[in-house]
Amino acid sequence: MTLTLALPSKGRLKDQTVERLAEVGIMVSSPEDARSYRANVAGIEGLEVLLLSASEIARELRDGGIDFGVTGEDLVRETIPDPDRSVEIVARLGFGHADVVVAVPEAWVDVEAMEDLDDVAAGFRQKHRRRLRIATKYARLTQSFFTRRHGIQSYRIVESLGATEGAPAAGSADIIVDITSTGSTLVANRLKVLSDGVILKSEACLVMAKRERAEADALLAAEIAARFD
Amino acid sequence: MDGLEVSPFDGPLLALFEKRGAPLVSVPILQPADPYLDTAGEALRRRIFLTRGEGGENLCLRPDFTIPVCLSHLAERQALPRRYSYRGLIFRQQRSGPAEFIQAGVEDLGEPDLASADARAVADSLAALEACGVGAGMQTILGDQGLFEAFLAALGLPDGWQRRLIRTFGENALLGKAMGALARGAKPFTLDPALRDLAKAGEAGELTREIRVRMSEAGLPIHTGRSPGEIAARLIEKVAVAETRLDEGALEALRAFLSIDCSLDQARERLTSVAGRRGLDLGPALAFFEARNHALDAAMVDLSAIRYRAAFGRPLDYYTGLVFEVREPGSAEPLVGGGRYDRLLDYLGASEAVPAVGFSLWLDRVATLTGKDGR
Repeated sequence: MTLTLALPSKGRLKDQTVERLAEVGIMVSSPEDARSYRANVAGIEGLEVLLLSASEIARELRDGGIDFGVTGEDLVRETIPDPDRSVEIVARLGFGHADVVVAVPEAWVDVEAMEDLDDVAAGFRQKHRRRLRIATKYARLTQSFFTRRHGIQSYRIVESLGATEGAPAAGSADIIVDITSTGSTLVANRLKVLSDGVILKSEACLVMAKRERAEADALLAAEIAARFD
Repeated sequence: MDGLEVSPFDGPLLALFEKRGAPLVSVPILQPADPYLDTAGEALRRRIFLTRGEGGENLCLRPDFTIPVCLSHLAERQALPRRYSYRGLIFRQQRSGPAEFIQAGVEDLGEPDLASADARAVADSLAALEACGVGAGMQTILGDQGLFEAFLAALGLPDGWQRRLIRTFGENALLGKAMGALARGAKPFTLDPALRDLAKAGEAGELTREIRVRMSEAGLPIHTGRSPGEIAARLIEKVAVAETRLDEGALEALRAFLSIDCSLDQARERLTSVAGRRGLDLGPALAFFEARNHALDAAMVDLSAIRYRAAFGRPLDYYTGLVFEVREPGSAEPLVGGGRYDRLLDYLGASEAVPAVGFSLWLDRVATLTGKDGR
């Protein structure tokens, strides 16, 4: 019986995760070999701890490669098609706060809410011979917010790999959907968040993959979850 | 023909389409995905099977025939008017259930007599069902976005409100929400007071200059997206209607219109009665509606057997007028779906406006219904 837990492999997110785990009696220490992705664990039996990137953790949760993972809710909801069915958020950890938001150029003084954007998007094709373009790394969240929540159909997603906030000035997109914690990057790029444009208030979460487990594993999973109650 | 899957209806259907002047066209199963995402929108992304070509281009398994047939028509630079028929597999992702469906249908491109072309699409789809052995007793539902647009215009609603309502036509929950929002009045919005004053005074020139300054400060390209003038014009429009709301009388008239649900031979009377109560004139849209009914009559379609629903539409912006469906009463899924899509060929890059109407049959459902399900 072994369960696997994946933690972010570097940065503040890693440090805060290790601290939080220590609070519930799970002591994680970095491997002696800095290149190894397997960490040492004490304080619990049968748990293996891996160090992966936050986005990899979301993918592994989706694919069932790990039992538990600590990653951002934004990545969970973006990566996993039907998150409420395949994973369970065991605990919100209170750090790694960031919002996924819809932001438009400040110069769009007539656009203040999603309703305005709906109107602009609908008329865009007639005026510019193309759809309104949204740069984002969050295609799934964008689509479900625009289409399911607001009934907006007419837009194209431009997948952004690098600095999304620069897309409007670069001319590769008209608006963006991106993650922001303080908003300062948006302000520096003369972008503004729509009044009802917060798609998700995200933070780091302990997430469990839902699946059938042998009795011993199920008991251990329940014990880990209980420590975070 | 693809030859991949044959349906028991191929013989009679293809003979019928041929006889009605719509020869069979064959289009590849693998299609460029961008025309779909550009026209139907990103919502389609999850429902199509996407793949990438070696050069990075987005490709998909065709989720319908209308776009491939139109693209093939444009590529071949065929003369107009022209009718095409098709038959073969389409592919759509669903959470459960099958992902392949057999469709057959007709696309009617460039016919300038819109009323006749509309009527022909309805008549041909009914004849096609008959050729497949579908008995009487099916329910045909017809809607017309042109009448809805004419009704809004006759009510004298501000342009922005008309656009907002038209966008949701066919999605009753969204439409109801939009009507409710207009009746409550606009929510207050934050805006630089200096800009608000300029907008109130209708100072388009000064407003445009102000917006241009903001755009250049942000390093935004002026020529590739929304222009300063466009933003100024919309702000003026928005500020002008900010303090007004949809009045009770107009709301009631709109509700009365949307609740019209009668047989097609009684539709004219119902429409003029609802419009007349408020002294509205539906003008050319009603005249066209009548012309189409005459054309349906001439094509031997029984108007009393077709249901007209004023609120029936499809919320895709390239659908412009007629929409119709045939289904087994009580069934959730149509056997036939059709409609007029006058903007689609323009979206796909046609050099001139091409009126177009078409329909498709869901042959798997037809097979289940007629007991010829041999797959």
